[in-house]
Amino acid sequence: MYGGDEVSAIVLDLGSHSCKAGYAGEDAPKAVLPSLVGTMDPMYLPQEPEQPAKMGVDGDNNNAVDPKTGKPVEAAAKKSTRKLYTGVQAMGYRRDHMEVVPALKDGLINDWEVVESIWDHTLRERLMIDPKEHPMLLAEPSFNTPQHREKIVELMFEKYQIPALFLAKNAVLTSFASGRATSLVVDCGGGSTTVAAVHDGYVLQKAIVRSPIGGEFLTDCMLKALEGRGIAIRPRYSFKRKEVRPGEFELTNVDFPNTTESYRRYIQRAIAADVKESVCRVPDGLFEESSYANIPTTPYELPDGQTIEVGADRFKIPDLMFNPALVQVIESINKCDVDIRRELFSSILLAGGTAAMQQMKERLEKDLIEEAPQAARVKVLASGNAIERRFSVWIGGSILASLGSFQQMWLSKSEFEEHGASYVHRKCP
Amino acid sequence: MEPVVVDPGSQLLKAGFAQPDSDPSLVLRTAMTKEAAQDEFAGKSLDLSQLDVINPVQRGMVKDWDAMEDLWRYVLYSGLGWEPGSEGQILIAEALLTPKASRERMVQIMFENFNVSGLYAVEQAVLSLYAIGRITGVAVDIGHGKIDIAPVWEGTVQHNAVKRFELGGQELTSLFGMELRKAHPELNLDFATVEAMKERHAAVAEDHVAYSNYAEDCDTVEHTLPDGKVIYLGRERYAVGEALFQPSLLGIEEYGIAEQMLRSVSSCVPAENHRQLVENIVLCGGTSAMSGFESRFQKEAMLLGTPSIRPSLIKPPEYMPDNTLRYSAWMGGAILAKVVFPQNQHITKAEYDETGAGSFSWNNLTRHLAYEYTNINV
Repeated sequence: MYGGDEVSAIVLDLGSHSCKAGYAGEDAPKAVLPSLVGTMDPMYLPQEPEQPAKMGVDGDNNNAVDPKTGKPVEAAAKKSTRKLYTGVQAMGYRRDHMEVVPALKDGLINDWEVVESIWDHTLRERLMIDPKEHPMLLAEPSFNTPQHREKIVELMFEKYQIPALFLAKNAVLTSFASGRATSLVVDCGGGSTTVAAVHDGYVLQKAIVRSPIGGEFLTDCMLKALEGRGIAIRPRYSFKRKEVRPGEFELTNVDFPNTTESYRRYIQRAIAADVKESVCRVPDGLFEESSYANIPTTPYELPDGQTIEVGADRFKIPDLMFNPALVQVIESINKCDVDIRRELFSSILLAGGTAAMQQMKERLEKDLIEEAPQAARVKVLASGNAIERRFSVWIGGSILASLGSFQQMWLSKSEFEEHGASYVHRKCP
Repeated sequence: MEPVVVDPGSQLLKAGFAQPDSDPSLVLRTAMTKEAAQDEFAGKSLDLSQLDVINPVQRGMVKDWDAMEDLWRYVLYSGLGWEPGSEGQILIAEALLTPKASRERMVQIMFENFNVSGLYAVEQAVLSLYAIGRITGVAVDIGHGKIDIAPVWEGTVQHNAVKRFELGGQELTSLFGMELRKAHPELNLDFATVEAMKERHAAVAEDHVAYSNYAEDCDTVEHTLPDGKVIYLGRERYAVGEALFQPSLLGIEEYGIAEQMLRSVSSCVPAENHRQLVENIVLCGGTSAMSGFESRFQKEAMLLGTPSIRPSLIKPPEYMPDNTLRYSAWMGGAILAKVVFPQNQHITKAEYDETGAGSFSWNNLTRHLAYEYTNINV
């Protein structure tokens, strides 16, 4: 069908925190952007003055005004034409009245318009490809519903006109990335932590255990902890620095009253996430206030120049993840058949951005050895490189889509036209 | 025979043999017109006021492949003196975010139509850093058709953090033209004249306060137009530079270039790298040669960044020729060519015949070479 050499497939992984995309066969995704878009109600869009130059973002003027009455055309027609700003660049620019909307909710696609906008931006503006020429491998959550799958298939074939498609479950791809057909995948992602058992390349649906504690939850905790200590995280747009004397700077506050709350939180979270990623470490054992009360603090410099000292919070926050994570692993294994449990215990894979935290692997291994049955040999595997852990699902997809033996498994456009979207359940189990 | 280095830009194509410490021997406009008998002709003395000028490279990317092929043919055979049948090796500088299909097409044309013996392609940002003797830093390339901001760590471009803007010298020229029309409504100037004026007189104000003060009171310079008339340029020439720092002058909703550079650096994943990146900034590209640009850029970067990190621009080493920053990608290519080809790291015709155009990934090669480069004295 499709020769592995000539045609380069695209691997697309839309997660709760970020969307990763790139060519199959490469070792890292070329495009990584947040799974959020900025939306603006059409009534706030500025009238565009005479411009000598236009940028990449298309400047459609949505302010349709009824010439007779001079009032804006009714809201019903314009509701779907809210302007979306996608990508790191467009979202990084502060605009009045711009709200931030996530693409996924509870790990599943919630707002299809937003998802389309993200895919459009990724494919056309970041990778600069024409979807018609590239087969797509999409990574989907292990607990994806049949309706969602069919909708994705329809969208891809009808809107983007791709030649071939495959939907692969996240856990399976992670398994592939480490070269195993059977493993227990602990995916600590942005929105949630999912533990799934993969056996011979298939996810055991009854053994999937999810918990809503993921990287973003930890970031929120960090934000609350900092605010609780009285430290105000100032977004970059809210202050200006002036040089009063050579070498000395003074900060003045700049006020933008029309900035939406969701945008402000988005920027603050981004800063808190950076704090979390730089200073947090998973404690070696269960966190107790008393034992960590006197540890030395780590400094961190905020964008406005404030240096904060993070002490016990460094260990307290990652520990929040641990209690449920441990229980999840045991629960998931217990839901599987007795025969494979031993094999699962000895190949537990850690994946996801949050799993890149320091000491995560060691702590998980230690806790599991204590909790697991005596006879089981517990081994937790994680790639040493933090980047590989973050993108392990994408890397697995890259490997899968470039295998020669995979090329016959694509769901082609003609098959879709002949059998309909429900054919995907047969072709992509 | 030395390997050839080519940097096809949106406005100027730089080409020459890879000789250390020298300028590109051939610098010509990337513009062509159709001659009567379907042949396309390119040259320095092109009369650009003709209407049907074709620009095969737009915004850093090749858009018209047939025209580009003819341009290559002119450059390689007529311009540089290659003999058909004994073509040498070639190193090509590419823009960032070049689509894979584009690269494959270029590889195919080089091997099949021109029968080159060896080929290597590198991103312009990496080359610009090599030209000033670094393998880590941020390359801010302000060209005619595009602006690329690329953090490079040990020879590899951090693709996630790259910023590309479809805005460059040509937009600034249009802006300049608009401002001139506002100030001198009686003048009717064509694009080429405005561009020449911009290249001579455009400047950057010290900071945005100084720029707004220029609205009331500004120093003027005298300029003689081609038809002999003399006009005085005031604030208009500062608008050109200011537009890079306040893109709202161009009607674009974006932050200025210094801030974009800082944001690009902060989206590089390991935070420890940020300091080293910000302390090694290269400003290259024709538009960055504007007077006052460097000091303004440095000043804004210092104000916008965190106090502990001091952004610093790197100057080319003394042994490099004066035009290094303008032609930095070509210079870096000349340096790299001395390393790549003798060590057989490039793609040879035999390898191309075997594996086809699709499967080359130069990233790993470049990273490996970056380590080699640190031990080489140019």
